[in-house]
Amino acid sequence: MELDLPQAPLICLDFWCRAGSATETGRESGLAHFLEHMVFKGSEHLPAGAFDQRVEALGGSSNAATGFDDVHYHVLIPPEAAPEALDLLLDLVLKPRLAEDDFAMERQVVLEELAQSEDQPEEVAFQDLLRRACADHAYGLPILGRREALEGHHPEAMAAFHHRHYRADRCCLSVAGPLAGLDLMAQLEASPLARLNASTEAAAMTPVPLHAGEATLTLPRLEAARLLMAWRLPGAADQEAVMGGDLLTTLLAEGRRSRLVERLREQLRLVESIDLDLNVLEAGCLVLLEAVCEVEQLPAVEREVRAVLEGLLTQPPQEAEVERARRLVSNGYRFSLEAPGSVAALLGNSNLWGRTHDLDTPLQWIQRWDAERLTRQLIPLLQPDQAFTLRAVPA
Amino acid sequence: MSAALEQRQLPGGCPLWVLHRPGPAILSAKLWLRGGSSADPSGQRGAAQLLAGVLSRGCGELSGEQLADLVEGCGAGLRCEAGEDGTLVSLKCASDDAPLLLPLLLQMVHSPWLVDDQIALERQLNLQTLQRQREDPFQLSHDQLRQQLYGDGPYGHDPLGVEPELEGLGPQQLSSLAAGLGHQGSVLVLAGVVPADVDSLLLAGVGGEAWGATAPQRRRGPTGQPGAAIASCTDETEQLVLMLGCSTVPLGSPQALALRLLQCHLGVGMSSRLFVALREEQGLAYDVGVHQPARLGDAPFVFHLSSSSERAELAAEALLAEWQRLLETPLSGDELQLAKAKFRGQEAMGRQTSSQLADRLALVLGHGLPADFADRCLTDADQLNADDLQAAAQQLLSQPHFSLCGPSAALKAAEAVWQRHPLGR
Repeated sequence: MELDLPQAPLICLDFWCRAGSATETGRESGLAHFLEHMVFKGSEHLPAGAFDQRVEALGGSSNAATGFDDVHYHVLIPPEAAPEALDLLLDLVLKPRLAEDDFAMERQVVLEELAQSEDQPEEVAFQDLLRRACADHAYGLPILGRREALEGHHPEAMAAFHHRHYRADRCCLSVAGPLAGLDLMAQLEASPLARLNASTEAAAMTPVPLHAGEATLTLPRLEAARLLMAWRLPGAADQEAVMGGDLLTTLLAEGRRSRLVERLREQLRLVESIDLDLNVLEAGCLVLLEAVCEVEQLPAVEREVRAVLEGLLTQPPQEAEVERARRLVSNGYRFSLEAPGSVAALLGNSNLWGRTHDLDTPLQWIQRWDAERLTRQLIPLLQPDQAFTLRAVPA
Repeated sequence: MSAALEQRQLPGGCPLWVLHRPGPAILSAKLWLRGGSSADPSGQRGAAQLLAGVLSRGCGELSGEQLADLVEGCGAGLRCEAGEDGTLVSLKCASDDAPLLLPLLLQMVHSPWLVDDQIALERQLNLQTLQRQREDPFQLSHDQLRQQLYGDGPYGHDPLGVEPELEGLGPQQLSSLAAGLGHQGSVLVLAGVVPADVDSLLLAGVGGEAWGATAPQRRRGPTGQPGAAIASCTDETEQLVLMLGCSTVPLGSPQALALRLLQCHLGVGMSSRLFVALREEQGLAYDVGVHQPARLGDAPFVFHLSSSSERAELAAEALLAEWQRLLETPLSGDELQLAKAKFRGQEAMGRQTSSQLADRLALVLGHGLPADFADRCLTDADQLNADDLQAAAQQLLSQPHFSLCGPSAALKAAEAVWQRHPLGR
């Protein structure tokens, strides 16, 4: 996929693969993310560090991210250097070297990453919420992996994981930026990407369960209490529902005039902050609520959050509320199209999962939602009795 | 990139810069007002940030609710935030909504409501944020280092404030602070697709006439006030956080560019020296880097690293060795070339969106530097050699301060390394 953005100063090359943590078997815990680290340790042709050195010498930068569903590797680079960077990137992701000594060293780095996240009590609380809400589904397990599993991994298992998932039908490359004068498509035809085989078996996707329930967790080093809640909405394949979910979470918790912020922060002054995030995922989107408050206020916060959500049924959104949300979501989307990095990510992710709509289509989907449809299709899914609720309190 | 830059002065004295940029119909506006947390009056630390938070809670004829309705109803973003050297009002919206929203910018700073009830809310939120930040060992280590570098001086506190002083702030203190907004220097930058009658839209917020303000002058900001060479904070974490840093020089001073190239060499990208030496070669950390914000006064220059407690000794040795190396070993030709390429690359990355362009221009102008400062730096950087960089390091970085946060056994191990190291004192 490529998109010309003549005004942009840089080109983004973004390689996507359906090899997130949800594609791991139980023994492979953490392997998808660990592989993402190992990719930067060099390929058959490139010694460790050579890729970064070259890309950065060309005035570029690179990074990668592993999610539950997929992983992507991206390079931001001046246009004249894009052809070289493209060759390097494909070499790196398709033929990682996975040398024994690099593997042992990088394992230490991953373990440090794990330790760093364990020192943030908020992250610990979210991980616990997902574990309880999604039970044994991959979305309930840490992307970084379990410590014991990480300590037992070896390069052969990682190579097998790479071989299984980095296949023609499971990859997508997207390019966005000033493309004039470049013929990256012709270059790709002759690249290892074009010679990649398809996978031999189709990967099954298990819809994520959401177990309603509640629990209280005591955490050392927590300074303020948290109310966390999780819900499931339709998966990313239903993009129109995703836009509806975006509208509903915006209506509820984006800006001072959203229902939750207005009620809990502005009027009752029970919380320092309240957020409602839509996590777009293939096996079912997850909506996660986080309210930060004093521990004494926790019962009142929970009561009021429930009241606001239940109030959506008795007092359906007004047209003005929906329009406010439409404008916020539409503008947020339009603003994100300004930078080549976010355009490449949108294109790459959509196409990776077989979604071929053009960039303007989501704006039309937004317009198809009104108060009546939200009330009928989505508000019933975002009710307190559908959620897993976790209270995290300081030890 | 085709962008046309216009400059003029608004009635009353505030410089206005307009960067016309073809492309999506988006407008980004940045109003920079000098006098951030470093200008908090004595006994009122936290006042600038509190005022910034309250500016959007009612102005002119609009209550806080009406203002939020207007902004959010347009799907726009409006933020006011105090940093160390200034307060920044940022607006981002669809260009079509500019006629409704642009008048707010000057109105917010010219006639804020400063209602007691809204101040109380904002103050409570800031106090809670200060408390919650203590969950983060990086924040604890950073706060501690700030004390070591700046003591009780203007840069010595978090812009959110100091709890007992923040608790005492009310309408009276904020009113006198608000009255001064713009008079220590202000600049307004608009970038993107900008409407033609922008001056009158802006002035509509101050009754259509003038807003009394002055252009930012080039003036030296606060200096460092070096205190304890080493400080430790006990926290029952998995990792030990280590920070090593100095207060250095302001943005735009002769040696700042040499330091910036050192920062590119040490901390920018996966080929950077600290990343390679500490992460790739020793597996000591996930996160390692150099923090060097732009400041009007003596800016901090800080190495940061977090490593498992049981490797505290190794981590401390490695971090101190890198600092020592910086003082003793000049960059090789290849290293210098790579640092310069990264500096150029960083500049290009900071020019991708209208918001980024406006932000950078407002920062430079707010510091009293010329609009082409960034371009000049690119040219000037080319002239610097390895000796210049080493000279800057030796002059500015010879006496670093060490800040640690973690479990007591790890603290002890790292402290012992410091005691026997040439940099320790």
